Amino acid sequence: MISRRVRQSIRDEFSRSLMAKVGLVLLVLVFVAATFAPFLAVQDPTDQELSDSGLPPVGFTQTAEEERFIDGERETVEVTESGSLEYPLGTNALGQDMYSRVLYGARTSLAVGLLGAGIAAVSGVAVGLIAGYYGGRVDDGLMRFADVMLAFPALVLAISLIGLLGPRTVDVPDPFVAAGLVSDMPETFTLPLTVTLVVALVNWVWFARIARGEALSIREKNYVKASRSLGAPDRRLIQKHVLPNAMTPIIVLTTVQVAVIILLESALSFLGFSGTSLSWGFDIAQGRDFLATSWWVATMPGLAIVLSVVAINLVGDWLRDALDPDIEGETGGM
Amino acid sequence: MRLARFFARRTLQGIFVVWGVITIVFMLRFITPGSPIDFVAPLDASPELRQALAADLGLDRPLYVQYVDYLFGLVQGDMGFSFLRGRPASDIVLGRLPATIELALAATVVAVVLSIPLGVISATRRNEPVDYAATGFSLVGISTPNFWLGIMLILVVGVQLNVLPTSRRIIGLGPAFELLILEGNPLGLQLWVAHIILPAVTLGTYFTALIVRLTRNGMLEELGKAYVEASRAKGLPETLVRYKHVLRNTMIPIITVLGLQLGTLIGGAVITEAVFDWPGLGTLVIDAINQRDWPLIQATLIIIGIGFVVINILVDAMYTYFNPQVRLE
Repeated sequence: MISRRVRQSIRDEFSRSLMAKVGLVLLVLVFVAATFAPFLAVQDPTDQELSDSGLPPVGFTQTAEEERFIDGERETVEVTESGSLEYPLGTNALGQDMYSRVLYGARTSLAVGLLGAGIAAVSGVAVGLIAGYYGGRVDDGLMRFADVMLAFPALVLAISLIGLLGPRTVDVPDPFVAAGLVSDMPETFTLPLTVTLVVALVNWVWFARIARGEALSIREKNYVKASRSLGAPDRRLIQKHVLPNAMTPIIVLTTVQVAVIILLESALSFLGFSGTSLSWGFDIAQGRDFLATSWWVATMPGLAIVLSVVAINLVGDWLRDALDPDIEGETGGM
Repeated sequence: MRLARFFARRTLQGIFVVWGVITIVFMLRFITPGSPIDFVAPLDASPELRQALAADLGLDRPLYVQYVDYLFGLVQGDMGFSFLRGRPASDIVLGRLPATIELALAATVVAVVLSIPLGVISATRRNEPVDYAATGFSLVGISTPNFWLGIMLILVVGVQLNVLPTSRRIIGLGPAFELLILEGNPLGLQLWVAHIILPAVTLGTYFTALIVRLTRNGMLEELGKAYVEASRAKGLPETLVRYKHVLRNTMIPIITVLGLQLGTLIGGAVITEAVFDWPGLGTLVIDAINQRDWPLIQATLIIIGIGFVVINILVDAMYTYFNPQVRLE
């Protein structure tokens, strides 16, 4: 599907660009964190230890006023707590370990990002190819529909759909726990199904537009006309000529859409629409109520989002610089 | 004349898109699980009461009757009554509209004022520290979720430094100006500015970062073109070359992308409002969705859709100012 020339130019750009290397290293880091979360976590991210609530990250101390009964009298005492390696990024109000939660949050973000972008890409490209290749009334109908989709800000449409449909989730067994390689970790991973489908639904249009444009231009090329006159079936023409030519911009768009969708997912979780509690956006929403006492609860998951999205954007820049397609819909999403 | 024809054509297209939006928004109610009555009727309502409520709200009629009725209402400016607030839905939405427009405009001002000079400096001092700082900022800026940025601003500026208010809008821009002009009292305007700074920066940062990137890349591309050499050779001052010719040509792709990003601005406003408890359309639509207040959900979404279509037409018209080559078609 991808020609040798394209692969070569991706490699060349990689060896030229420092930022491409930084991006790839960061991205691998995020993938490792997400995949091997059960091994890297220090404890079950959903375990609550109320006596350890609100502990600061390692290296920080926190002084809070607490009311205690001393000799039957109620007194206010200052309690200073310092962070320890037991909870590297501190704990939240429920005494859950933020470090383990950030690791598991990476799973949710990446799963929704990859699946959502994948579904959007496959369905959008299919629609776009059909519209562009056949043209005429099919094309008109599909593109008018796309216009209407684009008349809604993506986040507004996503909030409406998911707020109304309700968050449905699927529990996927964790393979490492099932194989008995780790214990005391969650046995299942909760995939926010509605969120995944909704983010794909609000983003497929970008793919459709690119694929349509490519199909339109290739359809008129002489070699395609020749193959058609020789009786090659449409399906084969699309597979053999149209799709490979459209591949480069689609790859770049897919990469950047993963970042867009991760941001979108975090926003939906922040608003409480995702249906899983192991998500960066969800934790930021929780931490918002404790800004005055536990700043780290909202801060740490946010840093994780920024790091992941920076990584994907750097990889996206690398691919774009290597392949240089001219595309729209490659930024934004919030 | 050409401009008039352009607007007529685009308005016609726009009406078509708005009709599509209305239809989709109307259909939302029928793909939503559960009956709207569940949210209106008391928990222990008898079937008879529920039926009476449905009849009262017109929900017992066939789908197409409800749809046509809704369309006829819309044409007359009637968007129905809010289920829970007992007021016309359009009044509620229009009452919230200024807050969102003020927020979006303030964010745009923040973005344009900061980003274009930064992008120009970044391009003209390529590979100097200031360029690295600007590109670094713009990479992080487009990668940061704005709701988190808002919370971090509340943490640092509001909680730690305690210098700016972190929520609510206590006065609108209109009343603030009224106070200033009629009574010579600047307090209203001061309060307005103080309350809008953090939300505007929260919403504007993504666009600042994006425009810095576009301006830098666009300038670099334009600076390499032959007409730049020619203008310099003619002896035109460098500032004139940069700002009159190069920057103007750079504006074309910037406006293209900004036009495409309008949805991001409005979507971003929704979540910024949620962070700062800003009484605009965003907090309204979230409340309405959680309460299943259908007339209000529909009214808010349709007005957002119409606003979006209108701004898009204006952006297209702006194009011609910066790029006379574009025909108004």
